[in-house]
Amino acid sequence: MFPKRPLEPELASTSVGKVQMTLSTAPAISIQNAHLRYGEQVLFDDLTCHLPAGKTTCLLGPSGVGKSSLLRLIAGLGVTSGNRTAKEKIQIDQHDPSLIAYMAQTDLLMPWLSVLDNVLLGYRLRKESSPETRAHELLNQVGLGNAIKKYPAQLSGGMRQRVALVRTLMEERPVVLMDEPFSALDTITRLKLQKLAAELLANRTVLLITHDPLEALRLGHQILIMSGQPAKLEKLELSGTPPRSLTDEKLLRWQGELMERLT
Amino acid sequence: MIYTRGIIVTLSLLLIWQLLVGILQLPIFILPGPLLVLKTLILQAPLIASQAWITILETLLGLFLATLFGCTLALTMAFFQPLRLWLLPILIISQALPTFAIAPLLVIWFGYGMASKIATTLLMLFFPIASSFFDGLKRTEHAWLDLAQTMNASRWNILWQIRVPAALPSLASGLRVATAAAPIGAIIGEWVGSSSGLGFLMLNANARMEIDLMFAVLLVIVVFGISLYFSVDKLLRRVIWWQAEKN
Amino acid sequence: MLKKILVILFLIFFYGTCNAATTIQQQPLTLILDWFANPNHAPLFVAQQQGYFKQQGLDVKFIAPAGPSDPPKLVAAGKADLAITYQPQLVMQVAQGLPLVRIATLINTPLNCLAVKADSNIKTIADLKGKRIGYSTDGVDTAMLTAMLAQHHLTPKDVTLINVNYDLVQALLSGNVDAVTGVMRNFELIEMQLAGHPARAFLAEENGMPSYDELVIVTNKAEVNDPRLPRFLTALTLGTQYLEKHPEESWQLFAKNHPELNNELNHRAWFATLPYFASQPAAFDQTRYQNLALFLQQQGLIKTVPKVGDYAVKLGD
Repeated sequence: MFPKRPLEPELASTSVGKVQMTLSTAPAISIQNAHLRYGEQVLFDDLTCHLPAGKTTCLLGPSGVGKSSLLRLIAGLGVTSGNRTAKEKIQIDQHDPSLIAYMAQTDLLMPWLSVLDNVLLGYRLRKESSPETRAHELLNQVGLGNAIKKYPAQLSGGMRQRVALVRTLMEERPVVLMDEPFSALDTITRLKLQKLAAELLANRTVLLITHDPLEALRLGHQILIMSGQPAKLEKLELSGTPPRSLTDEKLLRWQGELMERLT
Repeated sequence: MIYTRGIIVTLSLLLIWQLLVGILQLPIFILPGPLLVLKTLILQAPLIASQAWITILETLLGLFLATLFGCTLALTMAFFQPLRLWLLPILIISQALPTFAIAPLLVIWFGYGMASKIATTLLMLFFPIASSFFDGLKRTEHAWLDLAQTMNASRWNILWQIRVPAALPSLASGLRVATAAAPIGAIIGEWVGSSSGLGFLMLNANARMEIDLMFAVLLVIVVFGISLYFSVDKLLRRVIWWQAEKN
Repeated sequence: MLKKILVILFLIFFYGTCNAATTIQQQPLTLILDWFANPNHAPLFVAQQQGYFKQQGLDVKFIAPAGPSDPPKLVAAGKADLAITYQPQLVMQVAQGLPLVRIATLINTPLNCLAVKADSNIKTIADLKGKRIGYSTDGVDTAMLTAMLAQHHLTPKDVTLINVNYDLVQALLSGNVDAVTGVMRNFELIEMQLAGHPARAFLAEENGMPSYDELVIVTNKAEVNDPRLPRFLTALTLGTQYLEKHPEESWQLFAKNHPELNNELNHRAWFATLPYFASQPAAFDQTRYQNLALFLQQQGLIKTVPKVGDYAVKLGD
């Protein structure tokens, strides 16, 4: 099951070209009446938002405002933290747990599994047959072709997050929820992964939490700014197609405006 | 490298022992010196060896069964939450009961053969193994459980594929503690009543005032205990290889 | 005024010296029993109860040991003045180099025996073949057993020996062994009767073992001329005599002083032990001591036979 010794890395061939995936058209997600309260503290009440189909929505906001909690509610995960009991309520149209894939801030790789086994985690857990070929292709695409047999301890932070990204993609879910997936990485790695993620997540309905306005502007079709207590959402529609280039003048202008808005 | 330090420590302890005997003028029937004990050990090697393998067997079987039952209980408590409150008292009681007080009862039930010694060992080691494994299973990283939940995994698969491997380092700590104490369980069982084994040998040597033999047997028990600990430690490092890499 | 002060000072001085005199006279003496307090020690407790030790200027403390092999070791190491042990064990201890000397005998006859349940099918020693026998003290118990078996052409290899470490009666009652040896006929046999399983006993001295003193008091060889010891012996002898004359009274007082020992077993054992006490604690039989030592040598428990005079004396000679 798990006691495998790390093997010498094999030189895998890198394949060129995008992987063809057949997905049912990603649905839009509509959230209504989201409510979260810890004791006397109301995080948000009667919150409404709409995640357009096949598009990326970036959720921006200060820490503690309830971004992660909202995402967890949408993902169907518990929001009780420590000994704070929560009162939660949420109404989600088109809600089907098997449609959602989740990527957290940390890579959550299992140290006793190889990179390959880690990306196939979902299939292992569901005792389904593992699409190893596609795993190989995706790993190649993110540049981890020769790390397939390695173990997480042998990888850098950026490499591990790439593995997590592949794992998320392998689930083939049309809706992807990501909670600050790149915030723990250095700037250069982050920029590379943003581009990679945007390419690979095209045509899926994505909710991406980030604290980096630039990231939101690069990756999002729309931005939701969450602020206040109880929190409210403010929508920003953006033109153009992500991933937007850093040299784009419009991007830099938006960044200025956004920063003003946030502070 | 580690062996050099071990040898130095051992030799120092032997030296301190010899000095204690010399300086305090301790008579042989209270504390014989290390040289005398080693001489007796060599002279009586056949006798000691003939009894040693019995105690070794009792210890190993007791340790094995304690691991088996302890892990089973821990897994049961981790998987079946309602059972937890029923089983937890059993776990705690097994630790609170002083082994030497329960040993006579075990001997009455299991007789004077190896079974009662295996039982005392099992009783003694059960708690550290079960509680450490259960602790590890309880404390699985929430983020992993969240991930598994979004992947629609069954509770059973989450237990075996995520919680158990994640809890292995915790189990290893408990196993190390248990292994260090393992020979004592067998010896206590033998002291209640036995017809063979190192504890039996110690009883007889003490009754005959052959204190040098008693200490020779004690030395063998200590060496056995240390060897067992290091063997189990090595085995655990191989099985739970990823923890070493983390460090 | 001055007279009053002088009288008071005198009284203080007088009272003080009186006290000092009595405290100087009460010399402490530690005696480690062989086991927890039981009717085997009656003469000692009676001597204490009747104040005979105090009369002799001795403040005797009885200490119960962790196990019967500790008392002689502690006396040999100089950590206690006196200890109770058994004559056969004493010989073995002396042979191992412990500097001990017997100065008094509490019980001058064997109490040791082999016991089986009365309803078991072991009617003679010969029936022990192939059976499981529990014992407490390796060496002496096993020597007695060997002697018993030899009389019926059996050897220890014909039986299974199990060390049951003093839980003798339990072992026999639980059925985990078929017979036990090292049992005291004045105590464990009563215990079994009270438990509803009367026992059949095979006495040591009737089955091949020479007669010996079951309980003796020993001191460190270096202390054998200590002036406290003859006084101790005097008090002990008086205690023995009083016990002989007033057994019931003595029991009552003992039961009152040791309420935790006031039970049916000890009560019966108290009276069952009376015939076994040595009426002359100081005396011992040289020939018997020599014979026992020879027996132990034959059994291979000691290599050389120590001289009796080296480990047993009659004080007051």
